[in-house]
Amino acid sequence: MESTPSTNKSYQLNFIGNGSSFFSIIAINWLLTAITLGFYYPWAKEKKLKYLYGSTTLNNDHFQFLGTGKEMFKGYIKALVLMVVLFAIFIGIVEKGHPNLATLVLYLSLAAILPFAIHGTYRYRMSKTIWRGIRFGYRGDRNELVRNFFTWVFYTIISFGIYAAWFTVNLRNYIFNNIRLGDIEFKSKAKGDDYFWLNVRGYFFTIFTLGIYMFWWQANLFNFYINNLSLEKGEQTIELRSTATAGGFFKLIIVNLLIIVFTFGFGYAWAVTRTLKFITSNIQLEGDIDLDTVFQTEASYNDATGEDISDYLNSDIVI
Amino acid sequence: MLTKGLFFDGVSSTPQHVAVRLDTQNGNLTISNDGITLAAWPLSSIESEQSEQVLHIYEYKNSLAYLKIPEVGFHLYLQKYLHENGYLSWYQRLIIAGTHVHLAIVAFLMAFIVVGYFYILPEVAAAAAEMLPETFDDSIGNTVYAEFVTESTIDSTKTAQLNAFASKIRFNNKKKIKYIVVKSATVNAFALPNGTVVVYTGIVDQMKHYEELAALLGHEVAHINNRHSIKMLCKNLSGYLFISAVLSDVNGIMAVIGDNVNNLQSLSHSRNFEKQADVDGLQTLVNNHINPNGMIDLFKRLQQATKHEMTSLEFLSTHPVTTERLKYISGLIAEKKMDINHQPQLEQLFKQLKAK
Repeated sequence: MESTPSTNKSYQLNFIGNGSSFFSIIAINWLLTAITLGFYYPWAKEKKLKYLYGSTTLNNDHFQFLGTGKEMFKGYIKALVLMVVLFAIFIGIVEKGHPNLATLVLYLSLAAILPFAIHGTYRYRMSKTIWRGIRFGYRGDRNELVRNFFTWVFYTIISFGIYAAWFTVNLRNYIFNNIRLGDIEFKSKAKGDDYFWLNVRGYFFTIFTLGIYMFWWQANLFNFYINNLSLEKGEQTIELRSTATAGGFFKLIIVNLLIIVFTFGFGYAWAVTRTLKFITSNIQLEGDIDLDTVFQTEASYNDATGEDISDYLNSDIVI
Repeated sequence: MLTKGLFFDGVSSTPQHVAVRLDTQNGNLTISNDGITLAAWPLSSIESEQSEQVLHIYEYKNSLAYLKIPEVGFHLYLQKYLHENGYLSWYQRLIIAGTHVHLAIVAFLMAFIVVGYFYILPEVAAAAAEMLPETFDDSIGNTVYAEFVTESTIDSTKTAQLNAFASKIRFNNKKKIKYIVVKSATVNAFALPNGTVVVYTGIVDQMKHYEELAALLGHEVAHINNRHSIKMLCKNLSGYLFISAVLSDVNGIMAVIGDNVNNLQSLSHSRNFEKQADVDGLQTLVNNHINPNGMIDLFKRLQQATKHEMTSLEFLSTHPVTTERLKYISGLIAEKKMDINHQPQLEQLFKQLKAK
């Protein structure tokens, strides 16, 4: 196998959904959510994700979301319990006459939940996403992520927020470097410096140009995210390349805005499908990984959010 | 019925050319390669999806395997068979019902929201407010008051004077009312559900006659007697719950629209409450033989003050003085039979309160 010279293969990423079929999904979701007084929400989310993932194709084969409303409902209940507990603690401290302390505790605990929630979300989402019957997976280590997360938070605080750019990029790199599709691994090599200067430039130019530069800023961000991503399988790679332009973003954003405003929000389905079409059509893949020989490596992970949050609750919330 | 397809076995992404047969006898979809059966999927557990002339079939219950069938004739046959033999779930049937059905659903929901929000919800909210015990009013009022006191300076002399003034008036209150005077140039006064009426020195400074102060107290006590704060809270809360329950899955924009509708609605509720407080406050003046024109004077004076002074007139932002409001108050006064007595005691106390 190793002796065979690698040849460039062709890859095609596509979004084949359309506004009217997505609208049907939303309308039914809306009906069922209304008559169940909101309890249908996790199932509505399942249907929505199934449609959007299922309408995205790579080399004419659909991605699929296999998560279920039942799994997400369990996660939702656990998250709800956690929130109730947090607010009960908040109220308890307020009643004792320390409203400022209560607010501090509440914000700190909400911030502390974040890395756990990120970890849980990626574990679940990736495990439930498949392509050609092969699962995606997220292999990040929860403790490592939590440690990193708070280290970055600390750096961000002592640098008066400047480190936030590196924080964002580090987090993104950590997550992507742990994502895989079967035996293909994702790689993200984004640099905090680039991201920082991109945003500094974006911020000031947007002010100087009275907002017009915003579209270039948006395009630069998209290009930054996409161009730093690649896939690896042994010696073989696929590089992601963005073809998005400021003009493209201008058209996407303005038209979406008009659709939503003039339909009083009912055109939302069309805005979403247009956006996904724009994103997929502006990502090109180039490389030599053979997508016909990807092997299943990941197991199913069925906990929608819960495990991490409940672990967290048992360990250090009391302190 | 037999056709050809591409099969992915859920172990690798390698496509395999297979023969696919719809076995109606056993209710299976059989997938085979060179006579060897790779899988037999029960029709009750398959999911299918058609896009760009290719039918994609999955059977997730047991594996991640996946099948693609290019022959359009077979799609139609299979879909029809599944539909007619009850293999489709209610959800799948709802999806294939067509866009006109989905549009009808949206129209129905809009109608449901309008009816529910404007006709059913206010009743439910009022019933909920009735069910809440008075102790609830007290605990909410106490919490707000505790917060308020830390940020304000209470004028204890004037507070005593105001309490003496109010004790000379019968308000028909069920709850014990506590009056507080706060040192502040802000022109404001408000009532808390625990029976506290807070009057700012700024609003007292604007008044010329004791009737105006009596009118102000009458109005504020009416808010407490009618439990307006709690009713408002119930209305806002139930409105919010209703809107978010109904719209939770639609999208952020709809939620924002919903939120604003709720705000507008609560504003008009608050107008109704203000009107009720005016009417009841006026009745208090009449019952106590105080000249009800005090109320008109109060509002006119506050209106005038906006034109001349730079002081913050917070009272007017929650109690907008409109010509309509002055008109219905005048109308009410004209309707009422009353005998007005001069009240030297009140006048005396009012003068003390006004003194620097």
